[in-house]
Amino acid sequence: MFALARLLVMGFIVLMIVYVCLSFYSRAVRRGKLKAQWNLEQMDDATKDGDRDDYIQKGLEEYDGSVRRKLILGVYIIPTVLVAVIIYLTNFA
Amino acid sequence: MTYIKWFLIITSWTFVAAFFHYTLPQKDIVRITDTYEKRIDFGENSIFWASADTGNVGSAVNRDIFFIQTKLANSGEVMVYRNEDTGWGWPPYFKFDTTNLQAEASDLKSVAEAPQYAMIKHYGWRNEFLSIFPNAISVEVVDGPDASKGWPILNILILTLFAAVSYFIFIRWRRFRMARIDPTLEEIQDNWDAAGDAVEGGHGRLKQWLNSWRAK
Repeated sequence: MFALARLLVMGFIVLMIVYVCLSFYSRAVRRGKLKAQWNLEQMDDATKDGDRDDYIQKGLEEYDGSVRRKLILGVYIIPTVLVAVIIYLTNFA
Repeated sequence: MTYIKWFLIITSWTFVAAFFHYTLPQKDIVRITDTYEKRIDFGENSIFWASADTGNVGSAVNRDIFFIQTKLANSGEVMVYRNEDTGWGWPPYFKFDTTNLQAEASDLKSVAEAPQYAMIKHYGWRNEFLSIFPNAISVEVVDGPDASKGWPILNILILTLFAAVSYFIFIRWRRFRMARIDPTLEEIQDNWDAAGDAVEGGHGRLKQWLNSWRAK
């Protein structure tokens, strides 16, 4: 039991670090894309009004609810599935 | 300096290669001659032994370990495998079926006159000086001594992934060094030279006097 607990705790800590880093990175990428999008729209239509920060804020809020963001949870799911598959193949296949 | 640098680089890559060679699975075609268990008192080689059967006490200083004695099909040399749980620990084979594997291996025992060949998947090294043995992961019946072992797909996948990640980190590190560290070092060097020049100027006469004692 101790060995399993150690694996779970260590694994969770490592994956949490990966998850947090990936979340921040993905959000930064999204922000950059929104910025570029805003600039593009501004070029097309100079009369377009509204604040750029508001635009980005709205885009990011949309991103927060998206499936794309939830895909990052795969950081936890993929290794768990991988371990289950290895256990099956090693011991029961 | 260049020699030290290359020494360090080659040493560290040798360690990486050894690590993968020890940890990744390999397959041998063998004829199993016997199976037995023996008590092992771990000493300085304890790092090369895995863990007690999952669920048992893990802190015992010695325990009985299963072994599988074989003769390699292609070279005819003997090879002895240990058979231990890796459990939830390293390396991540998650092997819990040690006793079952021993039963399967015992079932495939054969004599030289009527050989029964089997393929043993294992990781680890045999080293007589450290008394260490590769750990058997699985055993399966094969047709003959020349049976195909199949492509090591998993090893190729893992090594490719490792190479990709190493390359990615190396590129990032080089960019970081060029952008941040090299300019700073150059600045330090410049400052150092400037300070050196200033000091030399102050001790001009002392230096002249010292130089007068030196062989021309």
